[in-house]
Parts: sequence; C-alpha cells; structure tokens
Amino acid sequence: MLQAHSFLWNYLWVAPNVFLLSLGLIVWKRGLSRQFPAFFAFAILSAAGGLAVFLADILPLVSPEQFWYIDWFCLLIESFLKFLVIAEIFSRVLNPYPSVSRLGRVLVSGFGAVLVLLGVLAAALSRGDTNFRLIAGYHLLEQTVFLIECGLVLFIFLFAAYFHLSWDHFSFGLLLGFGVSACAYLATWAVITNVAPSAHGRVLLDLLNMAIYHACVLLWFYYLLVPGKVVAKSPIPLPENTLDVWNRELERLVHP
Amino acid sequence: MMIAIFLVIAAALALLFILGITVSRGLQISSGSGLAGQIQPIDIEAFRNLVDPAEDEYLRRRLTAAEFRLVRRKRLRAMAAYVQVAGRNAAVLVRMGQAAMTGDSQTTEAAQRLVNSALLLRRNAAFALLRIYIALAWPNSGLAAVPILHGYERLNGAAMLLGRLQNPAAPVRISAQL
Repeated sequence: MLQAHSFLWNYLWVAPNVFLLSLGLIVWKRGLSRQFPAFFAFAILSAAGGLAVFLADILPLVSPEQFWYIDWFCLLIESFLKFLVIAEIFSRVLNPYPSVSRLGRVLVSGFGAVLVLLGVLAAALSRGDTNFRLIAGYHLLEQTVFLIECGLVLFIFLFAAYFHLSWDHFSFGLLLGFGVSACAYLATWAVITNVAPSAHGRVLLDLLNMAIYHACVLLWFYYLLVPGKVVAKSPIPLPENTLDVWNRELERLVHP
Repeated sequence: MMIAIFLVIAAALALLFILGITVSRGLQISSGSGLAGQIQPIDIEAFRNLVDPAEDEYLRRRLTAAEFRLVRRKRLRAMAAYVQVAGRNAAVLVRMGQAAMTGDSQTTEAAQRLVNSALLLRRNAAFALLRIYIALAWPNSGLAAVPILHGYERLNGAAMLLGRLQNPAAPVRISAQL
C-alpha cells in the first residue's frame, strides 16, 4: 500500500488533479474566472500538468530523461502561476483599503526580495540528494519555490491579521490551502534535498506530499461550495429627521 | 543536515502561525458583538502633553543630561503605552466599521472612512512604536509622535460620525470612550 505505483500512490497522484480540474470548471461556470483569473489558469494548467507528468511516469515510451524535462517544465509553469495567484489574492485583500494598500505592496515587494535571497542561500547551502543534475536541480528548485511561497503566504496572513482586514471567503480558503501545502512541501523537500532519505522513506514523503495536496484541493472545494459564515446584523432604523445632521457631519468630514 | 533542520522548523512555525490566524479569524467572526466595550479610554490631553516638543525642550533645559535621559525614558514608556492602546482601539474600530458596512450607502461611506482612518492610525501606531523604542535607546534624539495624535483626533471624528449615523439617539457613545 505505502509504496510507489500502488493503488494509493496512483490515486493520490491522479485524484487531486482531477478534482482541481473540476474546481477550475466550477470556477469558470460560476463566472468567478473573471474575479480569479490567475487561480482559474492555475487550476486548469496545473491539473493538466500534473496529469501529463503522471502519464509520462506510466507510459513506457517516455524515457526517464524526458520525464524529468516534462516535470521541470510543469514545475516552472505551476510555480509561476502560484505566485500570480498569491499576488491576485493579496490585491483582493488590499484593494478595499487604500490607506494600507501602498504600504502592503511595498512591504510584500521587499519581503519577497528577502525571501528570494534566502531561497538562493538555502539552495547554495544544500548538498543535493543525487548526482544527476537534472533531478538535484529539480529538488532544489522545489525547495526554493516553497520557501518563497511559504514566506509570502505567511506575510499576507500576518499583514491581514495585524490590520484586521476582512477577506472574502474563497480568497481566504485559497490562501489557506496554499499556505498549508507550502509549509508541508517546504519541510518535506528540505528533508529530501538535504538528508537524502532511503527509497522507502522517499516514497513515504511523496505520499505525504500528495495526501496534503489532495486535502488542500478538497479545502478549496469547501471554501468554494460552502458559503461563509454571515454574522446576523440588526440594522438600527434611522429616523428621517436626522438627515440634516448626516449631511452636516458628512460636510464636516469632507471639508474639515 | 543543518539547513534541513532549520527549514523544517521554519515550515512548522509558519504552519502554526497560519493555522492560529485561521482559528482566531473564526473566533472573531463568531464573537462580533460587544466590540464597543473593548475600546479603552485615552486621555488625549495627557498624550498631547507627552508628545509636545516644547515640554521636552523645557525638561532638557531644566535637568542635567543624566536626569533628562531618565525622565525622557519614562515619558517614552508612557507614550508607548498610549500608542499601544490607540493601536488596539484602532483595530477594534476597524472591525466595527467593517460590521457597519452592510447598512445604507451613507453609513457604508462613513464606515469606510472610519475603517481607512483606523487603518491609517494602526499603521502610524506601528511606526510610532518603532520610533519610540529606537528613541528609548537614544533618549536625546528627536521624536515625531505628533502625526499619531493628529491621526487619532481624525479617527475620533470619524467614529463620532459613524455613531451618529447608526444611532442618532446616542451620537457620541463610541467617540466618548476614545
């Protein structure tokens, strides 16, 4: 069960990508693709990429070298799209708040640059788990991407929490999924890249990664399909004779 | 090996933070009532006195350098306490403003203004605290906490307006506590 190409392995590889593809289609069908274009692109292309890599893994006509080139290509596309999704969500969080919008953008740019430097430093200090440069480079890139992703997601969560910014339900769920997966992936890729675990240990870490990704896709489904908790508000009836007061106060506020 | 340990610990801490924020967000949604009671009163005149550069200048002239540093540090600590309370009040007002945004357009507009002013104040409070802590290390350096005061006064006005729009019978209930 807990070995490569077992039923569980194949399920955990294929199912999240099928679910993600259907999530993308639901997003498109509900007209959310205009609000979340980057996530829509990520859902479709990342799922297609994941399935393509799976096919490359099981088809005998694909050589190991070709498999790794396909995997590299998909990783680059997926990483680029992930950062676009994170930027899209951060924009959605900041846009209603002009007073902290500029600060947020400046801080995230600076923090992003620091994370890139840290990622490069971590990659330079990592010893690599194999002599095959194509594979070792892939693992290092995974570690670097997840370090940056994890840092950016954490920054957005902390920024929004500090200022008590309100999020829309789906954006929050998306970032939560990216955050959980990035943290788990960072830890597992750091172990894979630097500790070079045994073949069985490697399979267990792969299974863990795939299970977490599966859980995150289901989490996105939950946040898309289940509406957010709405706090019932009891509006206070406003008598008509206070309109003058409103206007005076608004004038005072606009022209202090 | 060391880098792996470091990254695993960093990832675990990040995950804890993210999950913690998620849980606290859920708790905030379910405990939306009673926000006004969380606002702590601030004596704005006393704060104004603390940030007055003329007061500092007077103390500098009257006291020896060592005494001035001691008094200045005490005043800076008091200032930090005020700014922290102002920042916390701003956070409560952000939530109150957001809760009021579902009303009519004028209330929503007033709530939007309140939220933006409160966010500005929270940002300024963070920067001011940073400056105060730096000034604690170098008590002789200049410190401009005055923008905080102005921001707080603007926020007070915005909260008063929102209070009046939402409940004309008790127009200054919120702002009185500030």
